[in-house]
Amino acid sequence: MEHTHEHDHHITGPKTYLAVIGALLVLTIITVWVAQFDFGAANTVVALLVASFKGALVALYFMHLRHDKFNAVIFVGGLLFLGVFLIFSLFDISTRQTVLPSNLKEPVQAFPGAPLGKPVQPSTGMPKGQAPSMPQ
Amino acid sequence: MSQATSVPSHEHHEHAHPPGLQHHFTDMKQQFEASKIGMWLFLVTEVLLFGGLFVGYGIMHSKHPEAFIAAHSHLDWRLGALNTIILLVSSFTMVMGVWAAQTGQKQKLIGYLTTTFVLAGAFMVVKYFEYSHKFHEGLLPGKFYAHQGDTVPGQFMFFSFYFMMTGLHGIHVLLGMVAIAWLIYRASKGHFSSQYYGPVDMVGLYWHLVDLIWIYLFPLMYLLS
Repeated sequence: MEHTHEHDHHITGPKTYLAVIGALLVLTIITVWVAQFDFGAANTVVALLVASFKGALVALYFMHLRHDKFNAVIFVGGLLFLGVFLIFSLFDISTRQTVLPSNLKEPVQAFPGAPLGKPVQPSTGMPKGQAPSMPQ
Repeated sequence: MSQATSVPSHEHHEHAHPPGLQHHFTDMKQQFEASKIGMWLFLVTEVLLFGGLFVGYGIMHSKHPEAFIAAHSHLDWRLGALNTIILLVSSFTMVMGVWAAQTGQKQKLIGYLTTTFVLAGAFMVVKYFEYSHKFHEGLLPGKFYAHQGDTVPGQFMFFSFYFMMTGLHGIHVLLGMVAIAWLIYRASKGHFSSQYYGPVDMVGLYWHLVDLIWIYLFPLMYLLS
């Protein structure tokens, strides 16, 4: 009874945790370091890759998912649904030219919270004076 | 009726004594595993809660890259990096607290939990200075945006996401501090042992998730290019 109990709850020791926090701090430096380079459209992808590597370390070692297959399935299942949410939203958004509230019947001229004291065309994201018609 | 009285009589006698065992669980292991599944299901709902904000951020960022890049330069990445380090180290002290609980070391458990609590407080202090600077500059979400001298329009969108995401995350840090304070109280009362440390493990999981979310928030908010 006592033996099986210890066997079921795998206890990770301080040495492993020290190695993981060391790796996480080094990866934080790498996060800041890679942000200086311009990979063009891949900037966000690179940042998310480094973040995901850090997140995997936290989940596998600090949250003990390495020795907890059942709950790992629950967690990864949740992440898969988040992926469905993100990818299908991006399919939709990337095939539109502008993003406006769905209840608008016609284009709006002024936008609440326009920061420059003048009406701003919504959903352009372009510097003042540039035509918003071309998709980026 | 007869089944209900005859079957558990032996088991009930054997398992009635462990402190911390609720009467509706067969043994400590079953209780621990059950609460752990419940905790992970809760963490998945948390992932999806923040996930909605992350998806919204991704959409608006892809539609207005110039506004987001111009707006993010109002943030000080050094404060963001400092908070990242604080939260990572607090995750480490939390997991060391779980280890101390697993191995039945009461004083170490209290020490690690207190360190985690102090680090969480330090995170909120840095957050306070960041927020008050932005309030002062008028870098506010949506229609409250009042920053002067912008050359790129639409920066209020970035600050809508900034305050919603870091604000919701900050609320989670505050709730985590409440939970850790509760653990410190219970640990000092001697409630935990190597046989019963479920609450420490559950709060630990929650705290690591808060850390995990910040790991994504840091590059997305502070390090755009």
